[in-house]
Amino acid sequence: MGMSVSTGGGVKAEPNVTPMIDVMLVLLIIFMITIPQINAGFTAVPPEGQNLKPHPEEEGDQVLGIDDQGRYYLNKSRIRNEDLEALVGEIYLKEREDYIMYVKAHKDLEYVKVVDALDRISRSGVRVAALITDQTPNTESLVTSDRIMPGSN
Amino acid sequence: MSMSLPSGASSLNNDMNVTPMIDVLLVLLIIFMMIIPMSRKAIDTQLPDPTPQPPSAQVNPDQIVLEVLPDDKYAVNKEPIEKAKLLERLTAMYAPRPEKIIFVKGDTTVKYSAVIWAMDQARGAGVKVIGVPPK
Repeated sequence: MGMSVSTGGGVKAEPNVTPMIDVMLVLLIIFMITIPQINAGFTAVPPEGQNLKPHPEEEGDQVLGIDDQGRYYLNKSRIRNEDLEALVGEIYLKEREDYIMYVKAHKDLEYVKVVDALDRISRSGVRVAALITDQTPNTESLVTSDRIMPGSN
Repeated sequence: MSMSLPSGASSLNNDMNVTPMIDVLLVLLIIFMMIIPMSRKAIDTQLPDPTPQPPSAQVNPDQIVLEVLPDDKYAVNKEPIEKAKLLERLTAMYAPRPEKIIFVKGDTTVKYSAVIWAMDQARGAGVKVIGVPPK
């Protein structure tokens, strides 16, 4: 009962992968270029927490960064610490849609330095400070409204 | 002066084996795609009003102040409480209250992450508004 295996020699079954590689290379390069620009200028490791409110990034968001040395960054560019009130005031002491400022501070900072910054921006018209915090891995907020995807508010 | 081109290597396959490269590229691509859309999360805090109102600045007796003290100690309305029991205590306090406001005050020596932890617990206990008292 021997069956002869057919060895269809001449036909090649390999797909042409060259266009796929081209597309992927371009995507890869785009991602590699954009990531450093997103993180450029300022790095801080925010603290971790569980019950956090999602705040998707939007046009017009103002982010105050405080790095581990206590230096201030406004939207990722370094500012002199004594200029904080003036620069933030230029943004918030006028008619605006909201008076929220995002504060991304390093987790090992002393709290005094953060309150100091919060005090100062409150004098420049900021009403709500959203303290940026990372979700602890494998946790979910206990607050039900946090789990609904944002936008409805 | 004609030069004959060598036509011998017809049986050799000149195509590069690109499969391992595609594998590596795909993995890199997936890694980068996962890094980018990390959604931002935050804890909202109400900042103090810079314009002082001296007559009405009297402390409301009903308000709850959570203090973050050095050495990982906490106090609710000046009453010390164990770290492990904080969430339970706050939940019990806030369940019957209509206004879910807390003031979180940090000692001058505590770390920022300790205060964030306390605010996090407060939100978990049902607090809606977190106030940051001025220094």
